Amino acid sequence: MNEDQRTIRTLDLLKVFMRSFLLQASWSYDRMQSLGFAYAIEPILRRLYPDREEYRSRLDLHREYFNTQPYLAAFILGATARMELERASGRGRAADIPELKSALMAPLGALGDSFFWGALMPLAAVIAVAVLMTGARWAPLLFLVLYNGWHVGLRAGVFVWGYQSAGDAVALMARYSFTKMAKLFKAVSLAVIGGTLGMASSWRPELKLTVSLPGFVNAAAGLMITLVLVVVLRKGGSPVKLMLGLAGVCLALVYTGVV
Amino acid sequence: MMIFDLHTLFSILAIALVGGVLGLDRTAAGQFMISQPIVAGPLIGWMLGDTTAGLVIGAVLELIWVLDMPVGTFVPADSTVGAVSATAIAVLGGGGRATPDLIGFGVLLTTAMVPVTMAVDGTIRKRNSRLADRAVAGPGEDAGKKLSRAHLTGLAVFFLKSFVLYLVFVPAGLVAVSLFVHMPGKAHDALALFVKLLPLLGAALVVRKLSIRNLDRFFLAGFVVAALLTLAVPLHPLIIILLVIMAGYLATQELMVRQNR
Repeated sequence: MNEDQRTIRTLDLLKVFMRSFLLQASWSYDRMQSLGFAYAIEPILRRLYPDREEYRSRLDLHREYFNTQPYLAAFILGATARMELERASGRGRAADIPELKSALMAPLGALGDSFFWGALMPLAAVIAVAVLMTGARWAPLLFLVLYNGWHVGLRAGVFVWGYQSAGDAVALMARYSFTKMAKLFKAVSLAVIGGTLGMASSWRPELKLTVSLPGFVNAAAGLMITLVLVVVLRKGGSPVKLMLGLAGVCLALVYTGVV
Repeated sequence: MMIFDLHTLFSILAIALVGGVLGLDRTAAGQFMISQPIVAGPLIGWMLGDTTAGLVIGAVLELIWVLDMPVGTFVPADSTVGAVSATAIAVLGGGGRATPDLIGFGVLLTTAMVPVTMAVDGTIRKRNSRLADRAVAGPGEDAGKKLSRAHLTGLAVFFLKSFVLYLVFVPAGLVAVSLFVHMPGKAHDALALFVKLLPLLGAALVVRKLSIRNLDRFFLAGFVVAALLTLAVPLHPLIIILLVIMAGYLATQELMVRQNR
């Protein structure tokens, strides 16, 4: 067999990319995304290994433990597709692929968690909530557009980059500067959440704190309450406990006639 | 008044189906964030004829849970179940129109359910390890097809988890509402006040998670810019938000340049 004739089609890569959206369909504590990774890369293996035994052993190899940030898993999938092609064509070592996966999954997991969950999501959420507070009913759509514009764009971008660079993570960091973007997004999120409190007098009536105070006093009261809650949270309060506690405080305020 | 008439039963079933699909987006499929409270709440509100209730519940729960992140093996609170159940309980409990006290009651009730949803989620994720064993093909079987079938079974498992939770939570919540309406007026006033304070708790949670300082400079700068603009210039609130975003962006850029020097 002429090994160099092995090729993968764009459609195969597209299938892998589409399947990456189901990476966590069978997420479990001990295996995490291992089945999902094997499921996503399967179309490439089917294309590259017409020999059923070899196909099966490659598929088994990809069922090993795997866990990373689900969006940046697309980078590792792209890189793995490329390295499987190299291997099937006789140009790469079999051991390179598991090594690459285990080397990349932890750092990309940490990077992706801090960027997507810790920066992009709060940014899209606070902007949408700020817009919603002013009465705009299209805020949920704005949230989806803001979030998925980045999410899907980056997911597709890192998949292609993973394939083209065969897993060059250093080049990935240089290309996308996730850390810098995360810092920027977090700062803007904080400014927007502060701005939302500053505009308390423009909030939709269902959420407006009180109508009897002048606008600025209203906003300042909101700021003070928020800062007190921040201090309480820093002392170890959880959201559930604080919500239950807040309901208790409201009951006390109403029953004592303060409000 | 009968709590569970035919219309309510159909509504609960529809909510469980849609909520089950939305729940897939949390972990199992896509993660396009249609499962986030700010989307799920209004969608359920719209289905039941009171989008405003869904928007209010979605906004406050979004702020409260947005930074409860799925890092490593940590499974965060199911804010989708919270938003969907709270909206359904408030709207259906109010006979198609949620009042502020019912919104507060719905949110409070679903908050109390958070430990239950987390425990159920944990159990499902433990049991999912069995799918890995089911993915192993026997002699003569197509290994890829066997693996795909086992993997995609997880979707059905995650869907059923949410579906069943809604079939339990929403009727239980409606029974609780039928008791709540007989409570003294002050309890209703307290829960209406509770709703108005929830955005402040949400804002505090965001500040707590995004900054190491109690008095974060970006947070304060955003507050001052918005408060002064609101006070001094008759601008549309959306323009003020845009100006705050721009101010935050420029201040961060400036800070980064200074730090790089």
